[in-house]
Amino acid sequence: MRTKTILTLAEIEIRPVLEYFPGMAETVEPAVLPDIEKEEQTGAQSELEPGYLVICWDDPVNLMDYVTHVFQVVFGWPKPKAEFHMLQVHNQGKSVLTRESIERAEHYVHQLQSYSLHATMEREA
Amino acid sequence: MKLIQQDGKSFLFHISKREKGLLFEVLKLYPLIPIAHHRVCQTAAAPRAAESQKLLESALADRTRENKRQLLAMLKQEARLQEADGAHRLTLSAPQMEWLLQVLNDIRVGSWLILGEPNEKKGKPIELNDENARYYAAMEFCGLFQMMLIDAFQRPS
Repeated sequence: MRTKTILTLAEIEIRPVLEYFPGMAETVEPAVLPDIEKEEQTGAQSELEPGYLVICWDDPVNLMDYVTHVFQVVFGWPKPKAEFHMLQVHNQGKSVLTRESIERAEHYVHQLQSYSLHATMEREA
Repeated sequence: MKLIQQDGKSFLFHISKREKGLLFEVLKLYPLIPIAHHRVCQTAAAPRAAESQKLLESALADRTRENKRQLLAMLKQEARLQEADGAHRLTLSAPQMEWLLQVLNDIRVGSWLILGEPNEKKGKPIELNDENARYYAAMEFCGLFQMMLIDAFQRPS
């Protein structure tokens, strides 16, 4: 009488894997464990999020066409969009130009101020 | 001052002797805005405000130094201004136009600060006297030159 050697699928799945590799060494704990260090963050999460508003404020000295031109150059906006924000500055006293991370907001404020526009960055409420 | 031709990269202006003299005299006033006038935030209590302010002042100081250097070079470089028919031809590249706009606006805004920040909307008229009159003239001339440069940018090539 032949010994039954054919296993069912269920039997294969429940047999330990090592049974198929009887000569294989057991896994041992390494003598030196790798250091596990948390990757250092380059900035706080809130600084990386676009939570800073770049605002241009009205003043009676900067010419309207000049302000429009600066918006076009600094933000690469088409003229109608630049004019829209310029008029907002003129009529409402200020315009929120963009919402950025702190670094990007600083960059835009530097650019706008190099053209002597009254621009600041504020944290979004 | 009148734009004669431009190809989007360089701009050729006709400028009379009187305009040239005026432009160069006004440019000698640069810089007029004190670096500390620029504020990065409205409120000093904003996060990183002191650090950001320091960064802004340092960047603007560097830019002002570089602008001043370029300005002195321009004032010395007579070749940029070719004499023709009793007037001059001034050639500027697009980046030089941007740079000149920044310099002129610094003088315009700086003059306005010296004049006491007059604001007609708020009923604060200009109070001229012998000492500040030249800054009023500088403010207006800068505005005029700025408009000519902006107009040149907007002209199709």
